[in-house]
Amino acid sequence: MACARVPLDEQQVTERGAQGKERTLPALHPDRKEERCFVPYRPPAGGSPAEVEEFLELARFIVEELEWLLALPHDRFWCQVVFDESLQRCLDSYLRHAPRGLDLAALPASPAVADVQRALHRAVFLTFLRMATHKESKENFFTPAVFGEIIYDNFLFDIPKLLDLCVLFGKGNNQLLHKMIENIFTQQPAYFSDLNETIPTVLQVFDAILEKCGLLCEGAAATEPMKLNAHKQASAMTMSQQELVDIILYLCDSTTTVHAFLDIFPAACSSFQSLGFLSRLTSFYEAAVPELQKAVRKRNFDDESLQEDLWKRLSHCCRKMVETAHLLLHHTCLQPILDSEENSQTFADELLQHFTSFLPEKRFVVDYDEQFPIADDISLLQQALPLVDETRTSYLLQGVEGAWDSLGRQKPQ
Amino acid sequence: MAPLPPRLTGFLRSFSSVSKKEDLTEQFYDLKAKRLQRQKLFAKEGLTWQKIVHFCTEHQDKAEQQVVNQELKSLLLSAKQIVGTEHGQEAVESAAAFLFETFYNKDHVGAEETRAIKQMFGPFPSSAAESSCSCVARLVAPLGDSRVENFIKTQSSRHNPQQCSAFGRNIVFSYDCYTLEPLESMPFSGTHDENSRIDF
Repeated sequence: MACARVPLDEQQVTERGAQGKERTLPALHPDRKEERCFVPYRPPAGGSPAEVEEFLELARFIVEELEWLLALPHDRFWCQVVFDESLQRCLDSYLRHAPRGLDLAALPASPAVADVQRALHRAVFLTFLRMATHKESKENFFTPAVFGEIIYDNFLFDIPKLLDLCVLFGKGNNQLLHKMIENIFTQQPAYFSDLNETIPTVLQVFDAILEKCGLLCEGAAATEPMKLNAHKQASAMTMSQQELVDIILYLCDSTTTVHAFLDIFPAACSSFQSLGFLSRLTSFYEAAVPELQKAVRKRNFDDESLQEDLWKRLSHCCRKMVETAHLLLHHTCLQPILDSEENSQTFADELLQHFTSFLPEKRFVVDYDEQFPIADDISLLQQALPLVDETRTSYLLQGVEGAWDSLGRQKPQ
Repeated sequence: MAPLPPRLTGFLRSFSSVSKKEDLTEQFYDLKAKRLQRQKLFAKEGLTWQKIVHFCTEHQDKAEQQVVNQELKSLLLSAKQIVGTEHGQEAVESAAAFLFETFYNKDHVGAEETRAIKQMFGPFPSSAAESSCSCVARLVAPLGDSRVENFIKTQSSRHNPQQCSAFGRNIVFSYDCYTLEPLESMPFSGTHDENSRIDF
């Protein structure tokens, strides 16, 4: 056992080596790791008894190993976490492959599968929770800066893993996840730089979807005249059914994941805002949603339940995009005004600017207004800052009304 | 394995520079290797065949010892059938110790025992499990339940109460997961989008 009241990263331990000779080494040392061989997680390929049996055996192995890991004392746990690559591969494989609530195919419906999956789900979460905790007790803790280096340099957490954690565990464990992620970003601010690097890649997903639907009009391609014999660009109406399904599943996963992350860790909203995420989101919404909805409604599906499911998924995506826009505005503009922070006027101008920029995106502005009435936010703004430009706000509210009218939709009472 | 559904984080892992680049071909998936590793781990734990032999034969007179030795031999034979004939004496003895620990307080081979043996050794003949269960029952019968329980508890690390101090035991964990939250059901004759397109 390592010495008490000294951070783990400074502790030394004296142990008997393989030849029985005593030696002193740092408490965090690869020689203190045990050979355990964590196996990677794979969901069953199908529902045959043999496949289910194989899955059960694999999942039980992982549960047992993780329970063993969680029962280890603090120093041994960290030796395993830092130096056992098979453990990292196992955890990563769970984040990548674990079934999510929104997946089309669920695990085979058997009580044994459900039981072991639940045990595994909990054990994986607790392992990540312990890995995100730099102070476990008065005796068991890290120097915060060293903790930040360890989790970052060893890729114990990275941005895709944090997003996976949010979408897999966030629904019911919001507060715990918030504490975990907040601690990770606090102890290692380099994660903010990584987040800034990741956001343009998230935006590429939107571009990729627009491109697949033949809706990406950028650069030379948009200005050059198309040859008469050129192949017609694919669209949501003409692409294969499987492609359409994949696009909607992809959008569903992407919008749910981004929303879950921002909901759990609102401090990330400013990074998304500073990289222009909101305007890209609204223009994507305006371009892609009507096309995809039209394709789902008008195409012939052999399986009507698939059509119904795709519609629901698309509707879910709309909700998540609108909620994401609201989270971004709430945390970067409205909340600072309500908290009476300095520069409230600047935040108010920004908020009005964002709302005004929504106006050309009629479909988006109406769906947003339906979920989060813009008039309510304007009213809040006027209460907090009585000097808000009234001409500007009435122009905005008229624009919103106009969007409802132009789409022929009735505002809910 | 079924193909992975399209996921944002999969795209980010492939196309952003913030994740460790893993060679996925290195991700071996071998339950046999895992079982062998578990057998090795068990062999390193406290309970050994020698200790079991000593425990079962001590305080016995010669005639009783002969009967006990016969049962121990039968248990080794069953263990050999379960672990596979290609393994050496050390592996067979370790398997026999595992069977003793599995069956010392059982009167039949239940689902849990079957699972435990399969997880350790892979598929096995059920007759071997049944005969080892009977052997263990006959071995422990004259020794008294509490003595046997005490012996197992002191020798086996599997029975150490380590789990009750495990990290997170008091944490309330929710199994809730995100599900579809559609805004509207599918309209059969809605034309919102088309109206907006004919606004010249």
